[in-house]
Amino acid sequence: MITTFEQGRRRTGLFFVAPALMVLAAILFYPIADSILLALQRVQLAGGAVTQEWIGLANFQRLFADAVFWKAALNTAYFSIAEVVLVTLISLGVALLLNHPMGRSGLFRILLIIPWAIAPVANAVLWKWILNANYGVLNGILKSLGAIESYQVWLGTPFSALNFLLAVDVWKSVPFVALLMLAGLQRVPQALYRAAYMDGAGPWQSFLHVTLPTMRGVFAIAIVLQTIWSLRVFDLVFVLTRGGPADATVLLNFLAYRVTFNFLDLGYGSAIANVIFALTFVLAALYVWLLWPREPKGAR
Amino acid sequence: MVHSFNRRHFLQTGALAGAMATMPGFLNRPAQAQAAALNVFSPLPPDPAPPGAAKFSEEAFAKWQADNGVSVAYETLAWPQLHDRMATAFASGAAPWDITYNCGWVPEFQSFLTPYADNLPKALVDDLPPTSFATTTVDGKRYGAVFTLSLLTLFYNKELMEQAGFKEAPKTWDEFKACAKEMTRDGRYGFVLNYGDPAGIGGTASYWMTFLQQAGGKVYGEDGLPVFKSDEGVAALQMMVDLMPSTDPGSISYAGINDATNVLLAGRAGMMMNWPFMWNAANDPKQSQIVGKLTSSVLPAGPKGSASIDGTDAWTITKASKNQEKAQKLIEFYLDAEVQKRQVLDTGWLPIRLSVLADPEVQAKAPNAAVVLEQAKHPYDSFVTADYNQVTVAIGTEVQKALQGGKTATQAIADAQDAVTAIVKRRG
Repeated sequence: MITTFEQGRRRTGLFFVAPALMVLAAILFYPIADSILLALQRVQLAGGAVTQEWIGLANFQRLFADAVFWKAALNTAYFSIAEVVLVTLISLGVALLLNHPMGRSGLFRILLIIPWAIAPVANAVLWKWILNANYGVLNGILKSLGAIESYQVWLGTPFSALNFLLAVDVWKSVPFVALLMLAGLQRVPQALYRAAYMDGAGPWQSFLHVTLPTMRGVFAIAIVLQTIWSLRVFDLVFVLTRGGPADATVLLNFLAYRVTFNFLDLGYGSAIANVIFALTFVLAALYVWLLWPREPKGAR
Repeated sequence: MVHSFNRRHFLQTGALAGAMATMPGFLNRPAQAQAAALNVFSPLPPDPAPPGAAKFSEEAFAKWQADNGVSVAYETLAWPQLHDRMATAFASGAAPWDITYNCGWVPEFQSFLTPYADNLPKALVDDLPPTSFATTTVDGKRYGAVFTLSLLTLFYNKELMEQAGFKEAPKTWDEFKACAKEMTRDGRYGFVLNYGDPAGIGGTASYWMTFLQQAGGKVYGEDGLPVFKSDEGVAALQMMVDLMPSTDPGSISYAGINDATNVLLAGRAGMMMNWPFMWNAANDPKQSQIVGKLTSSVLPAGPKGSASIDGTDAWTITKASKNQEKAQKLIEFYLDAEVQKRQVLDTGWLPIRLSVLADPEVQAKAPNAAVVLEQAKHPYDSFVTADYNQVTVAIGTEVQKALQGGKTATQAIADAQDAVTAIVKRRG
């Protein structure tokens, strides 16, 4: 059999890539496949024994009748949408400030990156103390400013608890997205601004008709990435509220953990995890599609 | 000679050393022949931990290891993470421990444990409260030995109580509510508790179970199905709701007992239900602003008297352990009278042995021991089952809704019973 040089080169390449593919299969594909199989079984440790029984799509059918799942789904939808909107808008504002001649000091960028650089659990513990109803610095500051009369239980009501979780996650997420947008801002050709100026456009019109359209790709990537990250939120819920009060802060990821590891209902927990996986997969596909190199329109 | 140690020799020597080091038992084989190794899974202090993991009886522990040819290694975790670590380890068949701590999870992990406690020496068993085996017994077999008498009792700041016009601790629900109401003044609250986490022993549902037993109710009937949708169940929850105006509002956000304990130790609340370990913390000037002001009493009686729940802190041996005999010996060491005495004197966790509880030195150092013994004369069922976590999340979430005014006590109890019935039926 005659092999061309190109075929030989590809075969050699495959040989060198094979170990990495095997590692990926072991740590990525196998857990995904196993998780899907688990979701089709009734797998429980209840009573001490590990029992496995094929039940088809029954775990997914159970999702439809599970009020806690729907509550978690609604919480997650609210959390994700609000987080994406807030993070995108705040990050754009921060990026614009950093792109201003007065904001170009490296010090600002270092300060900006601090929330993002803090380890997730450390960040959650930090906020647990900031929001403490008796000793929290937030209560102390607001009371000293006269904004509140008495200390508030920020994590005490369903509405307040969910929104404070949201605020904390926004605080942590803004730096990365702001830097992403800053990079996007710096790629806008200055010639476009000069042309707009020559056409009589003011700063607002330049922003509206030059900056925003040029950064459309960056926005799309930021939104998709932030949506994926907001679906993964777990550490904040675990440390700050444990899903309470009264399941008000149960997000899908936390619910999957609770059902799997607290209740040891591995099959049903996997079904919930697979719902999150499917959502994430679609978003990841969208992300890849956005980043895929393509020929400019009209190119020959 | 110096020149003979070139790069090739260096690599050969390194390869040889590496190959020898990968051989099992290289360098430490003689030691292994003599010593068995035991792995113990334990909570981190200040939760109840054994000698070597907590600072007590360290010399005796070292001597026990030397005398028995055993080296003991601890894996310690913060208490809230213990259950899930055990669950994943057992489920994956990779539990590396000989001895594990257990807290109401014996029915859940029963088939991974060995019923060693049936073989404990008679003299030791006779010195333990018979009821201490209730939460570690499944199908008539004893899978664990409780090592600390840990019942909820009432802790209160006697100075604040006197200021509120009460000379002694409340003895009934009505006195309890009145006392909490009077103590709520000057930015302080009469009562504090951690209602933030619904699950497990020490979670919201377990506190309701305390009131439930005081009202004369129980969680399960003879057929194993829930029976708490009753006047007693509603009365228990209504009592908690009635206390809310005098309860630190932060209670609904405190996920752990330490969050609530800190409020009491800062003098910002007057009363709380807590475990015996709190005594030492309350009298440690580094942790407490109410040193000498705290005392404890039996929990106030409901319509059917006082009642509590059991912390159920026990040692169990895994079925997979290759050193079950040595593991049992180690647990017997943990339960040794002298070790039990040091446990309470140095850590504040009460002993389980009746002879040690009666020791004058122990009673002087831990005056709350007598209160706990008195509390033990009343019911203290924790209602543990194989799906205890799921059941307590279902009940605790409904209790939280009622505490926040989102549901009436009657509606919350009805919904909780429906949820628990579904869980029990699904268990089969």
